[in-house]
Amino acid sequence: MTYQEYLDGKPVIITAALTGGVQGKETVPNLPETPSEIAEAAAGAEAAGASILHLHARQENGERSFDAARFEEIDGAIRDATDDVIIQHSTGGSGAADAVRAQPLETEPAPEMASLDMGPMNRFKHLTSENTRGLVDRLHERMLERGIKPELEVFNTGHLNESLRIWNDLADPPYVNLIFGGGTTTIPHPRNLMSMLHDLPDDAEFNVIGFGPHQLPLTTMSMLLGGHVRVGLEDNAYYRAGEPAKSNAQLVERAARIAEELGRPVANTAEAREILQLG
Amino acid sequence: MACEFLEYRSGDEEHSFETERAYCTVVDEFVLPMRADLCNERFGLDPATECEYYIDAVADGDR
Repeated sequence: MTYQEYLDGKPVIITAALTGGVQGKETVPNLPETPSEIAEAAAGAEAAGASILHLHARQENGERSFDAARFEEIDGAIRDATDDVIIQHSTGGSGAADAVRAQPLETEPAPEMASLDMGPMNRFKHLTSENTRGLVDRLHERMLERGIKPELEVFNTGHLNESLRIWNDLADPPYVNLIFGGGTTTIPHPRNLMSMLHDLPDDAEFNVIGFGPHQLPLTTMSMLLGGHVRVGLEDNAYYRAGEPAKSNAQLVERAARIAEELGRPVANTAEAREILQLG
Repeated sequence: MACEFLEYRSGDEEHSFETERAYCTVVDEFVLPMRADLCNERFGLDPATECEYYIDAVADGDR
């Protein structure tokens, strides 16, 4: 979790966020939504260098699904289409009931990882994903029971404080996802990434998400600072200004190429499991 | 129940879908999947208090 780890050439874990839970094909025409589309995208992302797949489930009409059976359908299609990837279910879900939010943790088999939103997040004009401490604790407790590694979604600096609240209960190493963009997320600027890293405990592994045009610079910065990266159409639909990304794989390929150029080899799935102490 | 301004359509001038998707007749656009839960009043969500499109439409006398 340091610049020294960059110098040492520590492998960088690439997570591909294939679909997301906010927008659909009405906004991003090539967004994978169905199990077969997600599986195809997963295979492309794996071939390009992703070892973790961050997954949301959708119904046939693109609307959100939190149903464990739908996640199982997607997971099965992915396992058939890939060699070996780490499956990470989202437990995010603005507006959804708490009980619904827990359903992605109930698949058979359980996912190796799941996201854990660490606090409130505003959506639209009148909607807030509350992510109360009670919900965070319930989701985390279920993850512990099922051996699921939490990926702490830190939308802003206050959520880092919230992470510290449960820090001692987290499986080693705590895996913190620092999120930069608009709205409730941290203002996307290098100084804010540096500031958050200053406050991050030394035993953490960290990952960076930059929404939209901030994906490329801030994930590159993460690589230079010993962190890991998440890319994909969930977070960014453009390859460069005015040029829509062709696929999730295209964004993963670029991240992998930059990592290699910077002297940080891309972690294969076994290495990612070792770094995050999965299993 | 669902929002009175919600329709399901298979396309418009810019889109064509195999499965009909949520369309808001207030803004004349297909809505984001996350917003579609609000349109469908799932999870106790209520367009009358949580959807700016609905609130503005009612204020403008569109119903």
